[in-house]
Amino acid sequence: MNAAATDGSLRSSASGRIVVISLLILLCAFATPAQAQSPAPSGAGVWEIGGGGVFVGGYDLGDRTAELTPNTGNTSVSLFTTDNKVLPVFGVQARVGYVVSTALVIEAGFRFTQPVYEVRVTGDFENAPNTTIEENLGDYVFDGSAVWHFTGAAFAGGRAVPFVFGGAGYIRELHDRDALVEDGFEYHAGLGLKWWFNESRRGFGIRGDVGVSIRDGAFDFEDGRRIVPVAGGSLIYRF
Amino acid sequence: MTRRARLIVGVTLALAIAVVVPVGAYLKLGTRIGNRTESLHWREFPIRYFISNVSAPGVTVQQFQSAITAAFGTWHAVENTQTSSTFVGFVQALPFVDDGMSVIGYVSQPGQDRTLAATTFTIDETDGRILESDIYFNTIFPWSTAEAGSTDRYDVQSIALHEIGHLLGLSHSALGETELIGGGRRVIGAESVMFPIAFTRGSIADRTLKADDVAGISDIYGTTTFSREFGSISGRVTKSGRGVQGAHVVAFSPKTGKLVGGFTLTENGEFVIAGLEPGPHILRAEPLDDGDVNSFFDDDFDVDLDFKVTFYDRVVAVPRGGGANNVEIKVTAK
Repeated sequence: MNAAATDGSLRSSASGRIVVISLLILLCAFATPAQAQSPAPSGAGVWEIGGGGVFVGGYDLGDRTAELTPNTGNTSVSLFTTDNKVLPVFGVQARVGYVVSTALVIEAGFRFTQPVYEVRVTGDFENAPNTTIEENLGDYVFDGSAVWHFTGAAFAGGRAVPFVFGGAGYIRELHDRDALVEDGFEYHAGLGLKWWFNESRRGFGIRGDVGVSIRDGAFDFEDGRRIVPVAGGSLIYRF
Repeated sequence: MTRRARLIVGVTLALAIAVVVPVGAYLKLGTRIGNRTESLHWREFPIRYFISNVSAPGVTVQQFQSAITAAFGTWHAVENTQTSSTFVGFVQALPFVDDGMSVIGYVSQPGQDRTLAATTFTIDETDGRILESDIYFNTIFPWSTAEAGSTDRYDVQSIALHEIGHLLGLSHSALGETELIGGGRRVIGAESVMFPIAFTRGSIADRTLKADDVAGISDIYGTTTFSREFGSISGRVTKSGRGVQGAHVVAFSPKTGKLVGGFTLTENGEFVIAGLEPGPHILRAEPLDDGDVNSFFDDDFDVDLDFKVTFYDRVVAVPRGGGANNVEIKVTAK
């Protein structure tokens, strides 16, 4: 990694902590006045927790060639070529939310996945067989989100409530267990549906959502942001 | 007590004479002291060098000195290293004389018709410290210092950059591919100034250091920042469970596109590649078949050439300021 990338990584780390801390402060700011209110049957002043699985899409890192400087008369000399990608992965997630109003929930979340960085090596100058090699990554995402429920659009007797969400987080990505740590930001947005097992919208329910996660930093070959699809399903409990 | 020894490492057309012992991560020049091997290195900076007051057709001594100074400057500009030099003046003395002065200049060596230039050392055999180092440029070849190079002439600055790499303690890199032509070898491509065979006449590609060269010089003269910010890969190359000696191992960073090479330097097939930027690397082991083996190693160093080019079966994550260890690249016989 070059010096610039190193600096960028450190900046991301510091900023990531700021985001997480800010979201927690935001959560507390909402929580304090709400705790003084009487909890509504399905509304403000209650908590929601959830846990389940998550799917995170992969992304293509592109081709990278091990090039030699060509001698006069040669246009380019490639020792070998690599095709690099991070494969899609399933993982786990957990969330805790505070119900600010019947429509708004503020959440803090955690997501863990172990994507595989896959490299296809081809075109060896000395005809080594093509091969595919891998590295295991460990992705930890700590995030905060605002979830807006469309209670007016609820159906199935009010038990099914569509929602949209958006937020930001901090990515901590480990190579080969913990040989190397890279970090960055994560922004996300999407939509989903909560299905409560009773009409009061308390107790147990399930949640499904789809969206996009915009990665900025962590493991990548290029500076800039990368969009990957995400989808999750959780068992939720509101109390 | 200082014991002085004269060593020579010749370079760059198609033949090299290496009578010193390679050591360590990158292929560095070294000398055996009892049972241990000490890498050659300068302890005192700036290195004081003189230029022989001898011109060559097409190149004045002033032009020659400017090219030499530029080449020194390129090595000194490597980040996170500490080297420096100073041009003292023009002298009548010639290179290859044990006179206490590091002299660089032209000498006619018709008997060395495949050697463009060569570097000698006077070292302290007790600790590997370089006391004096001379470089000669063979005037049987045509030379140029033209800014853009000159067709049919060898570029002084490019060859000087290679020789000064030796002067600083580096040996040869094997990061290149060659083809056999007329009993010699022609470079197809190389990714290290320290590759033992020069590009063809007119090329100025070797005025610029490559990642492999930077890793090598950093391994000898790196600062604490270098140690803190860069990492290494170490392990073995094995064939049927036994170590492969003299294998060339290349680490490629797909993120940066940089290539850094190293060798297995023990009978157990052990290697270390240092000076790597943190991040994933792909490892490739190959036999040393793109140059004369004695361009790299002593005659008594057994090099195993009987194995197929092989990629390590995992991506290796290089940590910042540490090492990815215990890699084993299993190769098979041809």
